[in-house]
Amino acid sequence: MVFWIELLIAGLVSGLVIGLVALSITLVFGIARFPNAATGDTMTLGAYGALAGHAATGSMLIGGAIGALGGAAVGLAAYALVFRRLSNRSTVALLVASIGIGFIIRAGLSLAFGHTQQVFQVPLVRPWRFQGVRIHPNDLRLAATAIASLAVVFATLYLTPIGRRMRAVADDPALARVSGISPVRVMVALWLLAGAVAAVAGVILGLRTVVSPEMGWEMLLPGFAAAILGGIGNPAGAVVAGLIIGIAQEMATPVVGFTYKIALSFVVMLVVLLVRPRGLFGRVEGVR
Amino acid sequence: MTTMNRRTLLGGVGGALALTAVPVSVNAQAATFRIGALNPVTGAGSPYGSGMQKMILAAVEEVNAAGGAGGRRIEVFAEDSQTSPQAAVLAAKKLIEVNNVRAIVGTWSSGVSLAVVPLTNDANILLLNTSGAPALSVPPANAKGLSYRFQATNDRFGRAFAEIATREGFKRAATMAFNNASGIGNTNGFKRAWEAKGNRVVAEVVYEPNQPSYRAELQRVLAARPDVIVMGSFLPDTTIILREWFQSGENTRWIIPGWAANPQLIQALGAQVTEGIISVDSVSNERAPSFAHFDQVHRRAMNQPGASNVYAAMTWDMVITLALAMEAAGPNADMAAINAKMREVANPPGEEVYTFAAGKAALAAGRAINYQGASSVLDFDQFGDVTPDFGVFFITKGQLERRYVVSI
Repeated sequence: MVFWIELLIAGLVSGLVIGLVALSITLVFGIARFPNAATGDTMTLGAYGALAGHAATGSMLIGGAIGALGGAAVGLAAYALVFRRLSNRSTVALLVASIGIGFIIRAGLSLAFGHTQQVFQVPLVRPWRFQGVRIHPNDLRLAATAIASLAVVFATLYLTPIGRRMRAVADDPALARVSGISPVRVMVALWLLAGAVAAVAGVILGLRTVVSPEMGWEMLLPGFAAAILGGIGNPAGAVVAGLIIGIAQEMATPVVGFTYKIALSFVVMLVVLLVRPRGLFGRVEGVR
Repeated sequence: MTTMNRRTLLGGVGGALALTAVPVSVNAQAATFRIGALNPVTGAGSPYGSGMQKMILAAVEEVNAAGGAGGRRIEVFAEDSQTSPQAAVLAAKKLIEVNNVRAIVGTWSSGVSLAVVPLTNDANILLLNTSGAPALSVPPANAKGLSYRFQATNDRFGRAFAEIATREGFKRAATMAFNNASGIGNTNGFKRAWEAKGNRVVAEVVYEPNQPSYRAELQRVLAARPDVIVMGSFLPDTTIILREWFQSGENTRWIIPGWAANPQLIQALGAQVTEGIISVDSVSNERAPSFAHFDQVHRRAMNQPGASNVYAAMTWDMVITLALAMEAAGPNADMAAINAKMREVANPPGEEVYTFAAGKAALAAGRAINYQGASSVLDFDQFGDVTPDFGVFFITKGQLERRYVVSI
């Protein structure tokens, strides 16, 4: 029993990271209407930003904030310099452009920080034990960070005027426009938000693992899987799907082994799409 | 009646130029023997790559200073493999097709060597590597017998791990392997040797790279209550696994290959987490005069003792062995004739020699030679593999401390 509970906890924490990546992808897809392949590299940038911030100030909180700001800045720059100019092009053109932006970020980071792995110099602590179940204090902190970020995103989307406009554009861009909603302001808010969310995911992943220029790119596949599983364009769905994939991967390992745990996220996705093609929470009109 | 137009004139001049050019290039070909130094100057192998490349250049300088090998001077074209198979294949193509090299020297990681070996095989040239993957010993990688490995195979590393685990009195060993030829080669080699000693492996895990967490993998291994975990791993995954292990609060010992348990690992994790880890790496042939000579050259070029880079000693030996084989094969020998002499100059029987100059003199006097390398005694088996000794390092207070050496 303890064994399974510990797997569940490990899956939850992995799932939160996947969920944040999926949230960033799904926000962009819902509003700007293309799959943003630079999401992974925005994550990486966030992790390096936090690494530099942490090294300079000694505070993980400030470091994390710098990472998130870095992600937001990159998101905004990508919009201003590239995506805005391509906004009338096809989805494929935007997708290809985002792959290019990802390459530029990755190459820039390799040039600036080198290929060798870097590690957050934070103290490692032994776990607490409840009834034999190991609870890691660092996990709790990371989970709290992830949940706080999610709260900020959802509060922005559902409690603020700009959030309402973003949802309006997501629902029907033409109708939003004739209602007097400025697409540029919505896009600016979107890219700041999506960049910051991806960067926070990168910071959390970097804290749990090691920071290297390829780390975010490797997370793109599970992130996309979760975005599709949750129903493309649905923020809550992306987070729930991320958690499902994270937990399913960890809990299945005693049965399918470790080599196939990555494949499992795709099996989950396949099954859901066969049974419910619009994803868990997607609406039919959301995926026109 | 001059009907010569501009085109025929140009053709004639061009042809004449070509005629004069051809003999010149043939002369140049005969006088020099080109090799490509393809080393991990950047990427995961970067702690070793610069030293490897500089020792290739230094060894070639020494061979040329002794009058060349088989009547030819050696010329080096240097490239960076970036420790990446893609980059290495591009560089190898350039070395083979543009520079026309006759051997590629000093590929480091197994991924790079396995990617480059089809190209060297197709071109019928030598590949001298320092990689561990067992697949490099046999066809298709070594179908033509043109690949030589100057490092221990992962399987031999695994055998050394078993010797060490026995010597340290461990009873319940578990293994964790990165899912590639090198990682699994290490743990399989360990398992075979460990079970041959009448022991049992209590848990085995093969894990995937680039995971956000390795906790489930660790949990499986730790549930079997091992007293030691034997790794077939690389630096990034080892860093993540050890960090999660420490935070799990369990007390187990670790035996980890030297390319993963290195100073960068200690720097990433700190002295407390890494205390007591056993790091195993092949050691150079430190008591041999050839090592003393190499050490001197290495200190001059790198400002560091030769023992700090086992791979640099291997690339040094690559050039010396190749040059001795060229010398033994005689003037203008082709690659097949040179390859046929590789084992003859490095393996017993024969007079033990420690430098190129001594070997060249002995060959000139008509004696058989057995080059004793700086990296190992350098006796190639039927697969082109060598068996170096292994240094056993304990991480103590953040320092790698060598306690003893095992031979297998």
